[in-house]
Amino acid sequence: MLKFGSQRELFLVICDPTLKCLRYVGMNSATLRKEYPTLRPMSDTDQSAANAANARLLTPVDPDSDEYLLVETGNSQSSEAFNRLFQRYSSKIYAMGMKLTRNEQLSKDLVQEAMLNVWRKARLYDLDRGTAQSWIFTITRNRCFDMLRKLKRQPNCVTADDIWPQDNGSESALLPEGALHEEQGSLVAEASIIASYCKQLPEPQQAVIEQVYIFDRTHDEAAEILKIPLGTLKSRLRLGVAKLRQLIGVDL
Amino acid sequence: MNIDLDCHPTTEMLNKYVQGSLPTGWNVVLSAHLELCQKCRQEYGDLESAEVHSWSEGPVEEVANDFSDLVASIIKQPQQATADTPPSQESPITEIHMLDHSFTLPRVLAKAANDGLEWKKLAGGINQAKVNIDTETQCEFIYMSPGSQTPMHRHQGNEITLVLDGSFSDASGTYEAADFLIRNNKDEHQPVSEEGCLCFAVLDSPLTFTQGLARLFNPINRFKFRKTIAHQS
Repeated sequence: MLKFGSQRELFLVICDPTLKCLRYVGMNSATLRKEYPTLRPMSDTDQSAANAANARLLTPVDPDSDEYLLVETGNSQSSEAFNRLFQRYSSKIYAMGMKLTRNEQLSKDLVQEAMLNVWRKARLYDLDRGTAQSWIFTITRNRCFDMLRKLKRQPNCVTADDIWPQDNGSESALLPEGALHEEQGSLVAEASIIASYCKQLPEPQQAVIEQVYIFDRTHDEAAEILKIPLGTLKSRLRLGVAKLRQLIGVDL
Repeated sequence: MNIDLDCHPTTEMLNKYVQGSLPTGWNVVLSAHLELCQKCRQEYGDLESAEVHSWSEGPVEEVANDFSDLVASIIKQPQQATADTPPSQESPITEIHMLDHSFTLPRVLAKAANDGLEWKKLAGGINQAKVNIDTETQCEFIYMSPGSQTPMHRHQGNEITLVLDGSFSDASGTYEAADFLIRNNKDEHQPVSEEGCLCFAVLDSPLTFTQGLARLFNPINRFKFRKTIAHQS
């Protein structure tokens, strides 16, 4: 009955309470309503439940993931979470510095500069911006570029953030704005209802779905990150999918 | 879009752009092309994911440094509550005017042109406005008036030309908006433009004119290029 391009796309819709993914599969709210006849218009109780679900989903489930640590760093200025991120990333940042500058002192400066930016901007990070890795990669590359330009005394009329705009590569830049506003209200509401189904799953299943369908990791990568055997991952995924189907009340 | 030639950056070039290892001029012209070309934006996205993956899985270098003081001093800093509005969003000039035309520029070029452009008339209906953004390359806007023709020339190093508006042709074909042309010292060409054409060009060394009176200017041309570079740095 559902005519999504693939299961992955369906789950992007189910798991990501933001607009982007609905647009990604090319659905509007009318189609959505037709495809999910059990979806009701959103009541006030739904709204608060959905908000809670969103907040929940925007906080990654796995407390050991980089994304969780980064969100924690931003939400509660957690020095412990930041410290763990620092342990994980300082040597990676240093390695990128050595590759680009071939200079130890500059690379140490880059560690300081990049991690300071991670701390300062942590509140601006959300899952919508992709993985923590790619967010920190962008910060590191951009800070390194600006650092080198300053060192070479280059004119500062263009900076790294002009050259690599944050939203480069995302579909949203290409879509007409009018269409967005027209549909936005109802789409967000309904996406939130779908998201609220997700939080009814047992936590291990949520974690698996998050890794595979939100972070777009392969089964092997997800299993490694969650430190569970591949077989376990697959069965949790299967169970999670089945449960969602049941909750949403549609046959796939 | 020229269909006979591949008017896009090479994968190698895009990859270096992802890594941040190119001179500023190349980065700027690549960024402008990506804004105009969905195909390359897609490829950029894929290359960036691959690069992030190999970065986070790749070999790390142990830092012989105790960073504990650093962490302590960083977490005393305030956090940002809202995104910076980059100065570029304070309405950079996105349009420039040449003769009767006005052109919309990609964001990064609008930023580069924000201080105003000084146009200089060259031979054959060509106008040039240099922008001072890089000490390692020479970056300029080129406006070819309708019916203009540049003297036959060859490049000593590499030149990248991004067509922004209008079109021009040479012996190999016709190029239109968003086309990204890479020329090196093997190419000798004589571009002509019937309808007029605005381009952004990045050179890593001066042109050599191979035809007519313009040849006389070669030594001066090289001298001027060195002078510009020296002046900028």
